[in-house]
Formats: sequence, C-alpha cells, structure tokens
Amino acid sequence: MYNIRNLSRRGFLNLSAAAGTSLLLPQGLIKPARAAEPLPAIAEEEAVIGFGHVGPITDEGWTWAHHQGLLAVKEAYPKLANILEVENVPYSADATRTYRQFVSEGANMIFDTSSTGDFLHQVVKRAPEVAFMECNGHLGMDNLGWYYLAHWYPTYVIGVAAGYLSKTGKLGYVASFPVASVYASTNAFLMGARTVNPEATLQTIVINSWFDPQAATQAGTALIDNGCDFLFGIMDEAGYLQVAEKRGVWAAMWNTDIRRYGPNSYVSSVIIDFKDFYVDQVGKRLAGTWTPGEYLFPMGGGVDRDTWGQNVPKEVGKAADEVRQKIVDGWSPFVGELKDKDGKVRVEEGQKMTEMELYNWDWSVDGVTGLEG
Amino acid sequence: MDVLTGLLTTAFLAGGVLALAALGEVLAERVGVVNLGVEGLMALGAVTGIATVTAVPSPMLGFLAALAVGALFGMVFALATVFLRANQVLCGLALTLTGTGLAATIGRNYSGMPAPVTFEPVQVPLLSSIPIIGPAFFSQNILVYLIYLVLPIFFSYLMFSTRHGLNMRAVGENPAAADAAGIPVNLFRFSYVTIGSALGAGAGAYLTLAFVPSWSDGVVAGRGWIAVALVIFAGYRPIMATLSGLLFGLITALGFIGQARGWPVAPAFLSMLPYLGTVAFIIVPVLAWQKMRRAMAAPAALAQPYFRDMR
Repeated sequence: MYNIRNLSRRGFLNLSAAAGTSLLLPQGLIKPARAAEPLPAIAEEEAVIGFGHVGPITDEGWTWAHHQGLLAVKEAYPKLANILEVENVPYSADATRTYRQFVSEGANMIFDTSSTGDFLHQVVKRAPEVAFMECNGHLGMDNLGWYYLAHWYPTYVIGVAAGYLSKTGKLGYVASFPVASVYASTNAFLMGARTVNPEATLQTIVINSWFDPQAATQAGTALIDNGCDFLFGIMDEAGYLQVAEKRGVWAAMWNTDIRRYGPNSYVSSVIIDFKDFYVDQVGKRLAGTWTPGEYLFPMGGGVDRDTWGQNVPKEVGKAADEVRQKIVDGWSPFVGELKDKDGKVRVEEGQKMTEMELYNWDWSVDGVTGLEG
Repeated sequence: MDVLTGLLTTAFLAGGVLALAALGEVLAERVGVVNLGVEGLMALGAVTGIATVTAVPSPMLGFLAALAVGALFGMVFALATVFLRANQVLCGLALTLTGTGLAATIGRNYSGMPAPVTFEPVQVPLLSSIPIIGPAFFSQNILVYLIYLVLPIFFSYLMFSTRHGLNMRAVGENPAAADAAGIPVNLFRFSYVTIGSALGAGAGAYLTLAFVPSWSDGVVAGRGWIAVALVIFAGYRPIMATLSGLLFGLITALGFIGQARGWPVAPAFLSMLPYLGTVAFIIVPVLAWQKMRRAMAAPAALAQPYFRDMR
C-alpha cells in the first residue's frame, strides 16, 4: 500500500500541479476512483452545486462546518450559477425528495453532508449525469463517492489527555446511536485514556439523536451524578459542555471550537474542516476530471484536535501532543491485541487494524459499556 | 452526589416543563375548553424566551415576554372557540401547527445558540441543607419554586375554596345553569383560556431558559401533547397535574440514570420509558380511577361551545 499520510493536501496539490500527473493519490484517498469515465466538464457560469445538511447551519457544529465548506466553494468559484442548500434534511423519504429537487433544479454536483443512505442512492441511480458525494457513506457507484474523517486519531489523542485529567478514571460519553462512528469514537477515546490510566472505564448513554440539547443535558447530568469527571460525546451542540462547566468537570467536544460555552471545562474538540476538500471536489467536477473517490481525511488533513483548553495543564497537552505527532508520522495505536467486552480477542496480537476496519468498527473494546445491549 | 439526589434533581427540572404546561391546560379545560394548541404555544414561548434574552440579558424578562406571547395567541384561540364557537379540536390543531411553524421560522437565527443568560439556582436558606430533598428541590432556579409551589397551591385554592372557583367549575360543568345564575360564561372561558395559554408558552420559555438551555427546531418534542394527556391523568386538578408532571420527569430521569449506572436493561428500552409512561398515563385513569370516576371525571361541558340561544 502507498503511504498516504506523509503528504499534506496542499503539498499534493502543488506537487501534482507541477508534475502534471494524475498518478499520485491525494491524501486520504482510501480507494482510487472507480473505473468510470469522468463526467464532462461544465462552465463555472452554468454549474449548480447542491448541499443537503442534517441540521441547521447555525448549530456551530457538524452542519456549520459543512456550511463553511460551502462558503469556501463560493469564494473559490464566485461565478457559479447557483449553490443550493437545504438544512434539516431528515433521514426519511423527505431526503429523497430534497435531492430529487436538487437534480430537477439542475444541480451538477450534490453533497449529502450526513449520510442518508438508500434515500440518497435512489436519486443517484436516476441521475447518472450528476456527481454525488456522501459524507459517511459506504457505497460507491459510477457517480457516487464518499468521504469521512479518520476521527479516531484525534479522539485517541484527546483520550490520552482524559487519562491524565480524570481523577476517578470514570469517563462519560454522550452517544447518538450505536453506529460505526460511535463505536470507533468510544473505543479510540478509552484506548487513549488507558495508555495513562489502565483502570479507566467509559460509560456511554445513547440518546437517539445527533442534535437534542435537552437529552444531551440530561445525559451529561446523569453521567456526572454517577461519578464521571470527564465527558466526551458526539453531539452537534454544546449541551453537555454547559453541564460540565456548571458541575466543574472536564469535557471534550466534536466539530468546532465552542470553548466559550464552558471555558473552564473545555479540554479540546475533534475539529473538522471540509473547506479544502469541497473546493477540490468542485474544481474537479468543473474541469471534467471528477470520478467518484472514497476519502478518509487523516489527522491534520481535515480532522484534528483543537488547541488545548485554558485549564489543561501544559504537561498534559504536551504529552498528548507527542502522541499526536507520532500518529501524524505514521504510527497507529490501533494494534492488537484487542479484546471485546466479553474478553474475546477480536484483533490478534501485533495485527494492525486497517482504515476500513476502523471506519466500520462495530463492537466495543473491553471497558466501554452502554452501547451493546 | 448521591444517586437519589441526582435522580430527583433531574426529575424536578425535567418535570417542570410538563407541570407548568399541564397546569395551564387544567385551567382551560376546567372552564370547558380543550386547548390542543399547547405544543404550538410551548414552541412559541421557547423561541420568545431565547429571542428576548438574546436582545436583553434578563431571564425574567424572557419568561414574561413568553407569557405575553402565549396570552396573545391564547386570546386569538379563545376568540375563535369561545365567542365565534368554532370547533375546539380543529382550532387547537391549527394553533399547534401555526405555533410550531412560526417558532421554527423565527427561531432559524437562534438555532443551536445557547441562551446567553439563564435562570440560576437559588439556594433556599435552611431548607437546602435537608438531606436528599434539600439539594434536589431547594437548590433549584426560581421557576421551579413557582411551578411546584406557588402556582399549584394558588390555583388549587382559587378553584376549590373560593366562590370564584365554584363559578369557574360551574362554567365547565354546566354553562347553561351558570349563565342562568348570572355568571358571565364567555368572559370566564376567555380569561382562563388566555391565562392557560400564557402558562403553556411559559413552559416553553422554561425549556429554553432554565432546562436545556438553547433553542433548536423541535425542542418541544411532543411535550405539549404529553401535557394534555397528563391533565386527564391528574383528574383536572392543579396539584395533581403538577405531581404527575414530576412523576413524568422522574420516569425520564430514570431512563438516563439507568444507562449511566449500566443497569442490565437494553438502552433502547430505557429510552422508551417516557413513551411507555404516556401510554400508562392514559390507561391508568380508565382502570384505577374507576371508583373515583365521578371525582376524576372531565368537566361535563368539555369541548362544547356554549350557545345561549340554544339553551
């Protein structure tokens, strides 16, 4: 396999521009594009790009980050005929309707910024001339690719910090659904913490939503009442950070820097950035070189940990950053032996989990409770 | 913190929303008007609360503004149902649709934004040092005291111990007789529907200013309907409505505590608890209240518009 992590996206762009070759693979590309013919080029003045979001663009989280990507596209290609954007696309037949509407409004390229699965794929099949990219998707077609973040690396780094900061060794996690992202996130977080405190455990609460401040607030309270002194989660809002601030425990977040909602409790975030990726993808579509790729952004190339919070001791940040540097240099912490909660060996001694295995993680490591019935 | 204390703290906080909304609904139903617009009123109140504190950082002002907005929409609803005698169920549904839609539109700019100021906990001297109950109840924000102590006791006294309350109940039981006795039926109905609606919107503001505390579309999440169900469970009594709100808060909190403590129950089942609770709240009155049927029955003239000339 090619070592894809040593090359930054910009580095690649410069390099490939200089070499004028398409043989090199951009950073984070897991699988090369499918053998399909690229879709024909379009003039910028005629191109229409569509974005469908799961939440509101004001959430200061996931959807906000994608909206920043949209703004970057607008800035890079100011002459685009139109950029369509729909918020709060539900995971239902309404998603199909939304994307069908995009197609009928003449969209040439559509980003589904939170996987809607089959509801999107129905539209993809019927619009072969439109390029589709599904975030956190799992399926490739001749005109459908996917992209996601290797968030387990920064999460592992934050886990290391949690190992130092937590006094009780009881970590809490506000989870949305028992899906692959959440398994990878909880496992990576606890594995990081256990490098410092081998006794650490992680208790999760599933609230059945990506965005429900009410439930996240209650879940955070329940976790703290139960002795957790470090909260992490995968929410698109600041609910449990506000609880942590009030109760004086640590908290780490997802998506964006929202430390102002709990400056004393804030440790870090899994920071996401789609700007370069969207600009790159739209550029390819306009130039007629777009083929559906499958991308996982590596640490430092679209996903990273945020700068440490004001109360995080310097030496803790430094220790965690050393781990971060090791990962950026190519080291992977996800090496066997790994056991699941029943003590069964799931990854053999010395075996390294592949990026696709991490992306599709569907079991909890020993010490994570609450996700599996 | 003690587990029981934690459970009760969350229960008081979470139940307050339902208790206040249910109390408002009790007032409306006691004078014979079913207000199914609670869900919409709560959404409006929630967005009004957050919009007000964003402009002026005073949670009390936000709460009062929500009451005012609720009263305004309540007056429109009461005008249609009491004076124009339109169908109460349809008007209620219309109010819910209008309220949630309007709130979503107004709330777009506030979506996901945490409230800049919220109601902060107030320690009641002495009482807050009682074990378990002290930290759980007497260290809450001022709205909690209002919802659990001041309002239910006041309205219960008003309803069952004053002449005014007797008149009020007469309007709900038999408006024709009340009218014959010289009680201004329409005025009673109009006033209490308006006050009830104001409390419903207040429950929404409680949500965004004391409980969550931020606005997002769908933040009410069906609690308006649960409040309507609670009123039936509570036998149309203010204190019972408050207590059933608390009971419901307890059930919700139990779901989270259960997960946090890793009870050997599937998380999916624990998340189901509030909905199972709603079902139980509908069934229990039918079965268990059998003997007290007369006492717990709905006002006889509930949902019936009053036409004086058809007496």
